[in-house]
Amino acid sequence: MKKEENDAFSQCHPAVGFFFFVGAIGLGAMILHPLYILASGLFAVTYYCLLRGTRGLKTVALSVPVFLLLTFANPLVNHDGQRVLTYVFGRPYTYEALVYGMAIAGMLIVMLLWAGCYNAVMTSDKFMTLFGGVIPTISLLLLMVLRLVPNMIRKVAQLAGARKCIGRGAADNATKKEKALDSLNVLSALMTWALEGGVITADSMKARGYGTEKRSSFRMQKMKSSDIILLSVMAVLAAAIVRLIAGGGTAADYTPIMRITPVTGEHLAGFAAYCVFLSLPTVLYIKEAVQWRISRSGI
Amino acid sequence: MKKSQIVMFVMLLAVIPATLLLGMRLPGRSYYLLSAVVALEILVPFFMAFEGRRPRPRELVTVAVMAALVTIARVAVPLPSFKPTFAVIMLAGIAFGPETGFIVGALGALGSDFFYGQGPFTPWQMMAYGMAGVLSGLGFAEGRLARKNWVMGVYCFVCTVLFIGPLLDTSTVTIIATKFTWENMLPIYLSGFPVNVMQGLCSFITLFFFGNAILEKLERVKTQYGMMESEDGI
Repeated sequence: MKKEENDAFSQCHPAVGFFFFVGAIGLGAMILHPLYILASGLFAVTYYCLLRGTRGLKTVALSVPVFLLLTFANPLVNHDGQRVLTYVFGRPYTYEALVYGMAIAGMLIVMLLWAGCYNAVMTSDKFMTLFGGVIPTISLLLLMVLRLVPNMIRKVAQLAGARKCIGRGAADNATKKEKALDSLNVLSALMTWALEGGVITADSMKARGYGTEKRSSFRMQKMKSSDIILLSVMAVLAAAIVRLIAGGGTAADYTPIMRITPVTGEHLAGFAAYCVFLSLPTVLYIKEAVQWRISRSGI
Repeated sequence: MKKSQIVMFVMLLAVIPATLLLGMRLPGRSYYLLSAVVALEILVPFFMAFEGRRPRPRELVTVAVMAALVTIARVAVPLPSFKPTFAVIMLAGIAFGPETGFIVGALGALGSDFFYGQGPFTPWQMMAYGMAGVLSGLGFAEGRLARKNWVMGVYCFVCTVLFIGPLLDTSTVTIIATKFTWENMLPIYLSGFPVNVMQGLCSFITLFFFGNAILEKLERVKTQYGMMESEDGI
């Protein structure tokens, strides 16, 4: 938790974070070019590890077998391609399909890593701040759900414990059927308790004037000028990347014939824009760390 | 016509086809992006209808409790891929109607992903879970189907195996498939099938043994405290 709190990018306005992740994941989904996937992967891994520390490295290491599995599985179902490496079950296992599998697997892992960063940066309170104005009722509902779940998990443990005490719960060596029926019984009891409790919550809400005034949110966050600058920079970069994609600058075909657009000349600028866009959180993190070092050494 | 209904028609007849047309011209694996955007566009009219209705606190809390139970259903049962998630959503749909059923499902999916981790599948999950609520709400509205335990159980099983499960598998297809041929997509659907059957079976068992018991609870709270009524019963 501490690491995430120290992250400069997490301190920005929620809109900045949301725009970045929509861009990183959305643009990533449109580009199958190996160089772009590699670049996105590098930045995703760096930022993920900055956020999560050694735990992050573990997740990254765990994604390697998934990457390999998806890579080698693709030629088993996709038989297009020019260069046949071998035959599996009488079907051609091609080089092109293998590279294609690598690209898809890489893209998937990169998307999941960015989603992991999203989970660390865009906490539920930020989500609420961002959407509380647009969909106030749904946001409030979400807030209630997020509060109820841990509450209910505690209650489930209490209910299960109470049932065990009076000899009605499922024993540790119970059959699957007994376990399933027991947990459904607990769920049913939980439902009664939660619905009754809900009435009290609702009355309390009404008593305190729910719906009479616009809701305020937990995070008191104003758009700072630095947030606006960051948003505009990201918008310009994203527009440049979208132009590049629309112009076919990131086109990459794998099967049946491999055709990968080289990153040269005018495309280089687009690639640079992509890298700068994705590096923003990492750059902010490092800038903050360096500033902290300098200001500390000045003491 | 209600505003939300107009939005629904505009979405179905104009925005979604436009998204699909535009998306076909995008390069790369844009079909993932496309499908996620379409899933979100399906959410919009439902959310608008709910917002526009200005629900009372008692209705809000009940919906929140049901949506939280969707998450709990994933946590509380200690058997893998044997979760009464859909049973809870479908009961909400049966008790409170398709619109509220959708909200419970969509919110349950979004809420539980805050605990299990958001991913590229979240928009799909919201849409599919919401649809489970709509399906059950439509099926049992105005006494179309008898609210008997076995009827609800079978209906929920059929919906899960034939509709909701494949819908969720389709999200997997858009994320990992490299080619949209039957030969290529079939393994993904086939590998999803046993999971769907297990889920369906679990929903069936839940509804078969507890269906009406839980429905009665919901109805009792509804009448006892005047929940889900247009005006609070205070």
